[in-house]
Amino acid sequence: MSNDNQSIFTKIIKNTDVTFLVSLFYLLFMGFCAIYSAGFSGVNSSKYLTTQTAALVIGSVGMVFLASFNYQYYKHFYKFIYVCSCLLLVSVLIFGLEIKGTKGWFKFPFFSFQPVEITKIILILVLSAFIDTHWKEIKKLSVFIKTLLITFGHFAIVMLQPDFSSTLPYFPITLVLLYIAGAKVRYIFAVILYGGLAVLIPLLTTFFKLQPELLKNNKVLNFFVSAPSDWHNAAIIFGSIILIIFIIKWFLNKLRIPVGWTYLVIFLFLIFAGSFSSVVVEKSLKEYQRKRLIVFLKPEIDSRASGYNIIQSKIAIGSGQIYGKGFLKGTQTQLGFLPEQRTDFIFSVIGEEGGYIFSQLTIIFYFLFVWRALVVAKHSRDRFGSLIAAGIATMFAFSGIINMGMVMGLMPVTGLPLLLLSYGGSSMLSSMFAIGILISIHLRRFY
Amino acid sequence: MSWSNENRNEYINFTEKHKNIFIFFLLAFLFLSAKLFYLQVIKGSYYKNISEHQRLHTTHERAFRGLIYDKNNKLLVDNITNYVALFYPFEQQYVPTEESIEKLGEILHKDIKKSIETGWRYGRVVKLAEDLTMNEAFKIQENKLFLPGITVVKEPKRICYDSVENAHVIGYVNELRSEELENMDNSELKTGDIVGRCGIEQSYDKYIRGKDGGLSFEVNAKGRHNKTFDYEAPVIGNSVYLTIDNELQKVAYKALEESSTGKGAAIVLDVNTGAVRAFVSCPGYDVNKISYVKEYRNYLRDKKLPFFNRCIQALYPPGSIFKIVTFTAALEHLKHNPYIVENCLGYFELGDRFYSCSLKKGHKKLNLIAAMAYSCNIYFYKLGLELGVKVIDEYAKKFNLGKKTGIDIASEKNGFVPTPEWKKAKMKIPWLKGDTAILAIGQGALWVTPLQMANLMSAVAANGVSYKPYFVEKIKDSVTNKIIYTHEPKPNEKIELSQYTWDNLHKSLEAAVDYGTAKRTKFEKLKVAAKTGTAENPHGDDHAWVVAYAPAEKPEVALAVIVENGGYGGQVSVPVAREILKKYFNIVEEEPEEQKEKYKQNFKNKKNSKKNKSKIVTGKRTKNVKR
Repeated sequence: MSNDNQSIFTKIIKNTDVTFLVSLFYLLFMGFCAIYSAGFSGVNSSKYLTTQTAALVIGSVGMVFLASFNYQYYKHFYKFIYVCSCLLLVSVLIFGLEIKGTKGWFKFPFFSFQPVEITKIILILVLSAFIDTHWKEIKKLSVFIKTLLITFGHFAIVMLQPDFSSTLPYFPITLVLLYIAGAKVRYIFAVILYGGLAVLIPLLTTFFKLQPELLKNNKVLNFFVSAPSDWHNAAIIFGSIILIIFIIKWFLNKLRIPVGWTYLVIFLFLIFAGSFSSVVVEKSLKEYQRKRLIVFLKPEIDSRASGYNIIQSKIAIGSGQIYGKGFLKGTQTQLGFLPEQRTDFIFSVIGEEGGYIFSQLTIIFYFLFVWRALVVAKHSRDRFGSLIAAGIATMFAFSGIINMGMVMGLMPVTGLPLLLLSYGGSSMLSSMFAIGILISIHLRRFY
Repeated sequence: MSWSNENRNEYINFTEKHKNIFIFFLLAFLFLSAKLFYLQVIKGSYYKNISEHQRLHTTHERAFRGLIYDKNNKLLVDNITNYVALFYPFEQQYVPTEESIEKLGEILHKDIKKSIETGWRYGRVVKLAEDLTMNEAFKIQENKLFLPGITVVKEPKRICYDSVENAHVIGYVNELRSEELENMDNSELKTGDIVGRCGIEQSYDKYIRGKDGGLSFEVNAKGRHNKTFDYEAPVIGNSVYLTIDNELQKVAYKALEESSTGKGAAIVLDVNTGAVRAFVSCPGYDVNKISYVKEYRNYLRDKKLPFFNRCIQALYPPGSIFKIVTFTAALEHLKHNPYIVENCLGYFELGDRFYSCSLKKGHKKLNLIAAMAYSCNIYFYKLGLELGVKVIDEYAKKFNLGKKTGIDIASEKNGFVPTPEWKKAKMKIPWLKGDTAILAIGQGALWVTPLQMANLMSAVAANGVSYKPYFVEKIKDSVTNKIIYTHEPKPNEKIELSQYTWDNLHKSLEAAVDYGTAKRTKFEKLKVAAKTGTAENPHGDDHAWVVAYAPAEKPEVALAVIVENGGYGGQVSVPVAREILKKYFNIVEEEPEEQKEKYKQNFKNKKNSKKNKSKIVTGKRTKNVKR
């Protein structure tokens, strides 16, 4: 069907997935419109658009290069790539530029660059390669843990910057890759339980501490909230958890449903470990960060500080109504009520100025884009390709879900950009590179 | 095609997981779409409203309230312009920034931090400073860039001339509080609007209140003006022309202030229309200073109760003035011949009690006309007992006692006329003959306001015709100069008595001036009819009353004067009435030296005179009743 003599361009065009392409163009177009609108009332209105265009052009070149490059080679030297990416991350800690308290930028004469965006793609390649080489032992705990450790390597270095929000996509990507490769689901649940406890305990404590009246009136809640800082309460809670588990075990035995002791012990261990890790999480996150992460549940309780962004974003989106306020006519955007409108809250700009029609289309095309990426995963010629494509699809999907969920008040304010739409050279570059790799997999599906 | 051929089972396993992931993503995106639909389509108008609200600010430019003039077109209440610095909060910034506080403090040379904490707020707007000079106002405007959210606005300030004298007529204004608005059914007003609080300012508020203007403009998230939408100029309120005479007010106030206790009320009514010519409650308060907390507190603490409008809010026993009612009742109901002579021995025995007359040694033989003139109690005790409480009450009600006069300012009191049923219900004791006797001379549980007395005298002067007292003659639209309101005299029900009764009543009241208790209102060129009263007060010294009308031949004005705890009506109140009449009729006669001396002596002697009260120890309690 295909011919090796054909040039890469002909190949790309011939194998073009129309849905994928239309989605991509729509998303890029909306992104550019929104960035233009967001900068419209500012002084340097064209500056951001120029940067973004430059990133898109460079990214497209990189995309074509990566598309022409056979992705299967990555597998052969994945260890080398991993080490290189770690070195890159370490070097930014040494030579990097500090912006807003995060040392995550390389400064060049005309642009600055955030390596963590690129290492995200590299991590997908490395994880896919590792899982693919160990696919036979994928059900083993050792491989599972090794995979987690690979991610943890990057995670640890990035957290030194510290840049918590950039590390967020690591977790879904790793877990989805493990899941799709056939790792035991209970391991994945264990990780989720552990991680969930470690993160939720400090966040929920912060959330309830923001509402002192509620705590005053609710003795039970007060008891739970004080547990992390009061060992007596914590001991009582752990004791009761153990008791409840034993009662459930006894009850299940009565029903003749056998549950092994090992599971119970591991389950208990996870609860303990998660709770103790929560102390570490609490220490590593600053108070304002914790507030920002959890306030989305009820932004009104801290409407002037941590809840402000969500409230303004919801007002922006909601006030767009069905038809929107019109391009460059959004009052929330143009008058500066909407924060971070170019980056994290770009979707709110679309919501306000484009209304329901354009924002719903954005969600649909974003999903179509993810869907086509998943289709690439399904039709890949080898497992390695499938895993990479699935990883990339997950990266985009989670970016969309978390970011759009965030601006609509469904998800924590994490500061994660909306890939392909948000302003940011590094993320635009990495998105285009990821697309290049996807195309490479897609092109080589038949041979 | 794919790796399915190499590892069939693996691939099937993969596609299954792949499908789950796909479904998971699909559900997540559907969830996002649902939330989007909720935000934009279902709650769209709600959020639209919020976004409009936070983008548009409206500054209010308060309208000038209407001007108030007196009878002679003298300006009583005026407005001046006051420059005020306001802070309009913008998102995330509910108080001015530290830098702008410092900057503003530099311009105004004072610390404004305190006024931010304790100052006036209008919704979310904070008043930072008032009474700015033009220079300061311009400086603030010049430094706008460094003072985000801070604006200078013009605000009218009400000033009242002769404010103490006119306080109870004019009333004062201040801002409407939000909790008051909740209890009001008025969509025109909003929190922070200036409204009249009492007097004319209150009762004619909707005429006097102008129409606020304002500027609506767009602000950005940093609180800076972006563009202006529209400007609406404020419209001044209507001008009100009062019936009162400012000069007369001043004379009356001065006379009251210089009276023995400095507490009291004086009212002058036009007999032919009911127009109020003077309406003074002493002490007054300075309307212009009421907004200063310190002054306000001092007024509240003042034992003389300056906020108390004695003309319409204070209830006093009428004392001997009530003899007018008993007199008419006797002539009408009993067909009593006023020339029947009674012998006054100075006391009156009823059951086991003695009731005294004003003159301890007694007036000896005198007829009813003389009894009125000398204010003899004995004659009236006898008449009262003959009439009975029912008839006295009936005549009291004929003279509109026990109900409001219907004057056009608020918080007027009803007064009270006691009945046997009331006493039975309230005190659980039956009405006694003694109660009737003292009711006949205006004591007991009989309560009247000074305005009611003035109105009663006005009815007496015009043979039973009287009008509802009023303050506002006309209201003029300040813009078009058209008269939009003119007062029509509102007559009260005519008191139907025979001319014979009226003639005798007038004769007796003139006699009181001629040779009786009100001698001190006697003028050479002006014939006055008057009645004095000394009302016994269970809580302190007696109240000194006088009511009068003049000229006696063709009455123009009726007046009532009370000096609270003043003592003898004839000595304390009558000089006040004399001053008022002198002013009203422009009498510039040179008074005989001797008489002047006498007045002065009387002022000085007021304490001595109190000591001379006649006291008769009755069987059970001490009872002293004066004229």
